[in-house]
Amino acid sequence: MLKTIGKFAVAALAASVPVLAGAADPSPTTQKIIDRGTLLCTGHNGSFFGFVEVNDRNEWKGLDIDMCRGLATAILGDPDKAQIVPLSWAQRFPALQSGDVDLIIKATTWTMGRDTELGLQFSIPYFLGAAQFMAHADLGVTEAAELDGGTICVEAGTTIERIAGDFLSSNNIEHTMVSYEKGAELRAAYLAKRCDAFAGWGPNLAVIRATEVDDSEAHVILSDQLSTDPISAAMRQGDEEFVDLVNYLIAALIKAEELGITSENVDEIAANPPSTTVARLLGADPGIGERLGLRDSWAREVIAEIGNFGQMYDRNLGKDSPYKLDRGLNALWKDGGVLYTPIID
Amino acid sequence: MAAATAQSRKTAQVRRLLIQAVIVIAIMVIIWSTYTTAQTNLNALGITGGYAFLERATGWSYSFSLLPRSVDDTYLRTLTIGFINTLFLGSLCIVLSTVLGFVIGSIRDTSNLALQTIASAYVQLFRNLPLILQLVFWYAVFIHLPGPRQAHTLGDIAFFSNRGLMLPALNLSGEIALILLLGSILLGVIVLLVRISVARALVIWASGTAIAIAVCLLIFVPQGESIVSVPALKGLRFLGGMQMTIELVAMIVAIVLYSSAYIAEVVRGGLAEVPKGLIEAGQALGLSGRTIWSRIKLPMALRSIVPPLGNQWIFVMKATTIGVAIGFSDLFMIVSTSLTQTGQTLELIAILMGCFLLINFALAQLVDLINRRMQLKAH
Repeated sequence: MLKTIGKFAVAALAASVPVLAGAADPSPTTQKIIDRGTLLCTGHNGSFFGFVEVNDRNEWKGLDIDMCRGLATAILGDPDKAQIVPLSWAQRFPALQSGDVDLIIKATTWTMGRDTELGLQFSIPYFLGAAQFMAHADLGVTEAAELDGGTICVEAGTTIERIAGDFLSSNNIEHTMVSYEKGAELRAAYLAKRCDAFAGWGPNLAVIRATEVDDSEAHVILSDQLSTDPISAAMRQGDEEFVDLVNYLIAALIKAEELGITSENVDEIAANPPSTTVARLLGADPGIGERLGLRDSWAREVIAEIGNFGQMYDRNLGKDSPYKLDRGLNALWKDGGVLYTPIID
Repeated sequence: MAAATAQSRKTAQVRRLLIQAVIVIAIMVIIWSTYTTAQTNLNALGITGGYAFLERATGWSYSFSLLPRSVDDTYLRTLTIGFINTLFLGSLCIVLSTVLGFVIGSIRDTSNLALQTIASAYVQLFRNLPLILQLVFWYAVFIHLPGPRQAHTLGDIAFFSNRGLMLPALNLSGEIALILLLGSILLGVIVLLVRISVARALVIWASGTAIAIAVCLLIFVPQGESIVSVPALKGLRFLGGMQMTIELVAMIVAIVLYSSAYIAEVVRGGLAEVPKGLIEAGQALGLSGRTIWSRIKLPMALRSIVPPLGNQWIFVMKATTIGVAIGFSDLFMIVSTSLTQTGQTLELIAILMGCFLLINFALAQLVDLINRRMQLKAH
């Protein structure tokens, strides 16, 4: 509690940041990152598998971590200049508001309340996840309506908590909800059968079922899709140029996949671009950097370091990861998914 | 000469007043400037402040409540439920840990070596491990109990499973039970205020509470229904009876074990402080060991036990905030969840602080009252 107050005191003391920089100048947030020499990103208090996790060598990895390393490469030219600040779900917004992190890239859903009242602004979504229920198979349930009278566990303070509450009450499914602050406690409680079902994010449930249970057959993910949450990066209000930067970082990663540019062939393609679009994206034709106050080669460097969106996905969640998650909705528009980008002209 | 002394006394008084005025003004300036800076910066960050969110529906639920709850409840109702949960858990733990603490503390004071060793092992074990560790331990043990369909049962009227402890109870709704509980506490305080003997006060309190329960049963139990409601398995859960969720059980066990170890030490210290002469006087009069304990040792010891005991009670109230570690919906957990769901950090923290100040201030007053009641008249 004291810590939160302390953070607010810090926020209160910090002078309000002047907005509106020239098109070619780095935005205030970017400038602060350049002056500091590191990018402060959100980590997690523990592991949020696939997105923000700590591996056995005590290094951060995951889709969100890669996104952060990509941003550090774009701004500072070095992925290792991304500094990960471990934060709980509840801490992330106060930490952003008080300047303890530069932005939140932490499986955070874009909601109206956060966008307006919390004084945040969101990037374009880089992932779509649906809330679902996972239940013990021995209960014999296949759809949410059969959970009537059951106990549902959720993670406290997340949108899942509200989505599940809303879904269960609007479908008149009587239930007891038990909420936990940490994912690890939630999983332990579910596996000990404290709860009949566990409301979670589809990708998350698949990760748990694939890696954390002895017998993945003993758990069913119910077919009901409770929502589709757009996952975006969240930033402080008042620095539009920084939002642009993050948006076009995401766009560049998706565009690179669309154009078949990977971390392996990026230098080769940049040396001999097949089209003007590619030449512009990789900085062979000038323009992409100047508009954001960055180097023209930023997208090329990012792709060389962390790969395109497809590579990031496969490495952290998809076929090259332990979780083997389908691309599903998170495939490119031309492959049956919903990922698309603004035109990079 | 006298005039000069009066003069210098007056100057000193003026100086004292001035110093105090300066301190008061400085504190007010600090508070005011903190408030305005926070206000300005929150505005600059685009955060909407104020308490309007209290009227909004939460859209989320939680594990334990004495009153009916739904996801359509307003934040105000949800926070009130959190407040009641904290108060309920805190009071229950205070009563249980005080009783257990007195038992253990008295055992430590006996001359029976075996009992003494057990009691001191108890104190060392539960006092020296961090409370949160004990809580997480007990919770981990309890959630690995069998599920509701394979619950441990006592004659099919009480069940213990990883969902909680289901006990038969009087067929009254949560609201009425809560009102009865508050009424009983109030009666207890009133009885304490009136200067009558402890035995008589106890009789009045117990009979008053019993009469109130009987009247409520007569009025509120619907025609044709039994006055006792027995829990029974239906579908995925138990219905009827009194349902103590496993989170509540774990909280009670952890807090009571931890806090009773402290209270035992307070009690032992109080008993040890009773002058030897008094006990020897009792022995010289030929009083039995039990009479010496109940008529001399305990009444004398209580006078030094009550003040530190009050501190311990206030600690227990604050200890309920660890509910967040296992998903028990105490006030802190509700505030913490509301905080992420609404982002109204400052307002919610203010509510949390206000509630705890209120609870613990009232508790301190109660302890003070008991303390004054205990004081020897001649002292």
